[in-house]
Amino acid sequence: MSAILDHPPAVAGHHSPGLWLLAWRRLRHDRVGMVSLVIVVFFLLLMTASYMGLVASDWSQEKGVSYANPSFLAGAENLEAKAMEQRAKAAKAPPVDLSDVDPLAPRYKEWEERAKKIAVTEVKRSETLPLGGDKWGRDVLKKAIKGSEVSIFVGLSSALLATLIGTVLGAFAGYWGGKVNDFLEWFYNIFTSIPYILLILAFAAVATSTGKFGKGIVPIVLVLSLTGWTGIYRLIRAEYIKHANREYVKAAQAIGASNNSRMFHHILPNVSHVALVQLSQYTVGFIKAEVILSFLGFGVPVDMVSWGTMLAEAQNELVIGKWWQLAAAGLSMAVLVTAFSLLTDSLRDALDPKLR
Amino acid sequence: MGLRAAETGFDPVLVYDRYSVGVCENLFETLVTYDYLARPPKLVPLAAETVPEPEEGGTRYTFRIKPGIHFADDPVFGGRKRELVAADVEYAIKRFRDPRNRAAYAWLFEHNILGLDELAERAKKEGRFDYDARVPGIEARDKYVVSFKLKAPNYNFLYFMAMPNVVPVAREVIEAYAADTMAHPVGTGPYVLREWVRRAKIVLERNPDYRGFELETRYADMADEWDRRAIEALAGKRLPLVDRIEIYPIEDEQPRFLAFLNHEHDLIDELPVSFINQVLPNGKLAPQLAAQGVRVFTELQPEITYYAFNVEEKADGTDNPVGGYSPERVALRRAMVLGHDREQEIAIIRKGQAIAAQSPIPPGVVGYDPDFRTDAQDYDPARAKALLDMFGYVDRDGDGWRDRPDGRPLAIDYKYLAGGQEYRQLAELWVKCMTELGIRLQPSAVQFADLLENRRLGKFQLADDAWIADYPDAQNFLQLLYGPNTDQSNESRFRLPEYDRLYEKSLGYPDGPERNRLYREMTRLLFAYAPWRLGVTRTFKHLQYPWVKGFKKHPILYTNFKWLDIDVAAQRAAMK
Amino acid sequence: MTAYVIRRVWQMIPTIFGVILLIFILFNWVGGDPAQVLAGKISNPDQIANIRRQLGVDQPYWVQLLIFVKQVFTFDFGRSWSTNEEVSHIILTRVGPTLTIMLPVLFITTGLSVLFAVLVAYVRGTLTDRMVMIACTVAMSISFLVYIIVFQWLFGFILGWFPVQGWSESFWKNLTYYAPLPIMLAVFVGVAPELRLYRSFFLDEIHQDYVRTARAKGVPEKGVMLKHVMRNALIPILTNVGIALPGVFVGSFLLEVFFSVPGLGREVVTAVNRSDFPVIKAVTVYLAIITMVINLLVDVMYKFVDPRVSFK
Repeated sequence: MSAILDHPPAVAGHHSPGLWLLAWRRLRHDRVGMVSLVIVVFFLLLMTASYMGLVASDWSQEKGVSYANPSFLAGAENLEAKAMEQRAKAAKAPPVDLSDVDPLAPRYKEWEERAKKIAVTEVKRSETLPLGGDKWGRDVLKKAIKGSEVSIFVGLSSALLATLIGTVLGAFAGYWGGKVNDFLEWFYNIFTSIPYILLILAFAAVATSTGKFGKGIVPIVLVLSLTGWTGIYRLIRAEYIKHANREYVKAAQAIGASNNSRMFHHILPNVSHVALVQLSQYTVGFIKAEVILSFLGFGVPVDMVSWGTMLAEAQNELVIGKWWQLAAAGLSMAVLVTAFSLLTDSLRDALDPKLR
Repeated sequence: MGLRAAETGFDPVLVYDRYSVGVCENLFETLVTYDYLARPPKLVPLAAETVPEPEEGGTRYTFRIKPGIHFADDPVFGGRKRELVAADVEYAIKRFRDPRNRAAYAWLFEHNILGLDELAERAKKEGRFDYDARVPGIEARDKYVVSFKLKAPNYNFLYFMAMPNVVPVAREVIEAYAADTMAHPVGTGPYVLREWVRRAKIVLERNPDYRGFELETRYADMADEWDRRAIEALAGKRLPLVDRIEIYPIEDEQPRFLAFLNHEHDLIDELPVSFINQVLPNGKLAPQLAAQGVRVFTELQPEITYYAFNVEEKADGTDNPVGGYSPERVALRRAMVLGHDREQEIAIIRKGQAIAAQSPIPPGVVGYDPDFRTDAQDYDPARAKALLDMFGYVDRDGDGWRDRPDGRPLAIDYKYLAGGQEYRQLAELWVKCMTELGIRLQPSAVQFADLLENRRLGKFQLADDAWIADYPDAQNFLQLLYGPNTDQSNESRFRLPEYDRLYEKSLGYPDGPERNRLYREMTRLLFAYAPWRLGVTRTFKHLQYPWVKGFKKHPILYTNFKWLDIDVAAQRAAMK
Repeated sequence: MTAYVIRRVWQMIPTIFGVILLIFILFNWVGGDPAQVLAGKISNPDQIANIRRQLGVDQPYWVQLLIFVKQVFTFDFGRSWSTNEEVSHIILTRVGPTLTIMLPVLFITTGLSVLFAVLVAYVRGTLTDRMVMIACTVAMSISFLVYIIVFQWLFGFILGWFPVQGWSESFWKNLTYYAPLPIMLAVFVGVAPELRLYRSFFLDEIHQDYVRTARAKGVPEKGVMLKHVMRNALIPILTNVGIALPGVFVGSFLLEVFFSVPGLGREVVTAVNRSDFPVIKAVTVYLAIITMVINLLVDVMYKFVDPRVSFK
């Protein structure tokens, strides 16, 4: 009697571990998945460090000569840098006098004096850089790191926004059905009838021409998410249709939960694994899309670097034998995307063992 | 050969891009043209018998057409040979002012020929252009003579008549092909259009009925090796020699370059700048190309690139920090000019394939003065910073950027063309240089149509720009800063009364020391008020294989097919 | 079933209208002014206004929208604003080159992917399977742009096996001389994702009960794969091909730009850059219609392939 009463905690605490804990356990045993996770986490840490300025913050400084060779190719010929050195100063004719028409003329003397006092520092440029330099002499290694930060950030934020849009719309369509569903289905059909490339181009062209879409990476994030939400919409809507009629939802209704509460408080946690997998697939897709957009000129702005801008620059460099920017961007992107994709696969396997 | 960008069509009045116009150059004939070898460029007669002298103080020009010139055969002529007559010239000129044609070069005949503006106005109101109406300024005196009367002296009118768009056309042909004139060019020129796959392939074939001509050697310079080679290859022969020309528009640099290297094309026009160090390492031709006998023609095109400041105080409704004529605003522009490292632009972005523009008038253009230069446009960050400090552009709020003298934050936007690597890199350079000075510059990539509109309407603060000569006279460049041209070609919206006065005065003079003096004054004003940051004049490298003979690139003419010869045996041997 | 088809066709109309609306908003309202591009080097506001009048863009928005709707139903989009070519002519002549590349790509990619997927599914769970999957993932992680740049340089330039770029008039010359490198490139890049997908389809089928039954009956593994699994997996495979079909018409603009192929993809990119509205409108609307028709055909085909499927 008392023995039983003495051990209520054991009874109450014995519930099956949640979906996430089970998934985590399964993931732990997946070797490929774990390796991928480590790689992805490494990139994310790198990204954070880069964002906080701990590494590669001076990526835009021109430490090297133009097209500096990578250290492992130290002896190779660098015609571009030589060409720069040899630009001899041509003999100059005396400059023309502007003092009679120049509005600045009254203060010429003061100007001369001030100019003398300002020091100009000459920076010594190095012949080689660890992974070579680009045409300005910027360190390719640092560009690759900073580029990873920007590309991953663009990919992740676009994916988050797209997932958000698709999930909310999918939830409404699947849960409410009827006219709401019809309207959203119509909306979905419009976006999926137009070929993706045309849709992206159209949005990108519009986003860049008017300044109203914001500055920096905001336009490209908006373009990617506003055109890419359709996949997850479909999935989430299907899930909501399935779940909306389940027992636990009816139970929630019985205890007086509002529609919103039922949609987002009760059902959503049960479909979140679908959203998560889709989110990571989107990240990969959008990182790749950013490269294409940058090639077309719709990518990140001039004062930033991304894998896309590096590859766009590298286009003409291969023919003249400068392969390191192509390699650095191509490889770091390949590693991250591969790791992310494999992680997505493992995640999906872990979350739903039926799909082996 | 591969063209740099795709063409649009071949109706001389409707097209304006270099490539379409270049093809038209071979299909049609102007009344006067430029001699192939003469440098600086010299006008010589083509469809006309002689180059007319300006009459009545530069307001009248009378052309006499050579009898016996015929249009190429076309079904519209009903099997008969159609001779070129003065009425064809009159018809062609009128077409420029027909609103329905939306002619980009309509400006050539605006405000000059007597009575033409009025006819064009009527056309706009009535909805159709009356081609049969008499225009007092165009007199077709008899079958072969046409005389033009202008409202005011214009000593550049002959250059207008040398432009490849200004060619006589047969009215029956235009009316017969109405909506499709782009695909049915019928001219008096040496070539006809044999095949046209839009934006993929253009094939021209020699017109066997063309009267032919010989190479004019009167103006050749025997010290120039290209002139010598051309004379050697072409002397005494009846031109044109090339029977068939195939043109492939290829927009991307890498494939165009690789096609030339693979012998798929015989020439490459304008070698893409990115490959310059591969083709000409250290300025000398690469060994594998030299071994094949490839020749390189270096051309300094009559053009300038520049960066235009919008000098109006308000741009697109908002306050424009770089606009204005007060010493304070002028100082900001002058400082930005001094802070821009043009040498880096030339060395790195343009790979040395340009020379800094010392004045708005490029070399090769009448009115160019090689000894005229200034240091107001040289790179000097110390003087730039001093100037900014002096006029109160200092960092007041501690954010690391300079602010305006009145304390408001300073941010300048720079607009450039989206989609091209070169423009993006030029923008990168500006950002770099301005950051060095402490000025916040915000670049934005803009679509082509929008950029054109923004520049034209003054919806920008700083933008990159360029101008290539329509005809080889300085006036064509100086009009870019003429006040009344605001909303057209004066994208800086520069309105300085003194400049305008000098410009108007210069219109009354032919080329000579008096006019050059005026031009010098105008340029000094440009340097002082800095509505522009002068850019560069680009050099282009044109490569040909040795079996292409007679090649010499002309600064104004777009193509030189009429003067080329191909050693077919050598060409075939190399293809193996 | 006729009723089903009719209902579906009827449902296409609001979607087409939605597409029209979206494109109209994007380009008429927010997009660039083509008159600027057409006006040339020197022109005044008068001339620009004249051009706008000629193009019809100076009319109120609702008038332009109505004109657009009318154009859709009469299939006459007028002429390109930049080349003055008839839009229908543009589309008809550009589709050829695009299909010359994309159709072989579709067939070869699908064929190879199915073949490899079957083989890999056959050895599922082994090291080979895992290695192939990882190889696919790696292949998919490299940007298409990188592949194009490297392949063109390597095969066209360094090795000289293929022409670097170009196109001709003759269909056979195109197919055998100019198209192979782009086709090879697209197939190389396209097989990896398809392989993964089809493998998962096959595995789905393999785990079904009827397969176990077949094995229990003593059907050899090869027979199981070929006769049973393949036929059932064919449905999702064909669905996938159906989804890819509309994309075939637009083609890969990257390939077309780099290899100078005068196809529809490249045309679209140029049109967007020049704000050439008639071309953009026409291509979008036609492709939207093609997409919807193909979807309908795929759904109808379902019925014939799998009698269990019924139409709602």
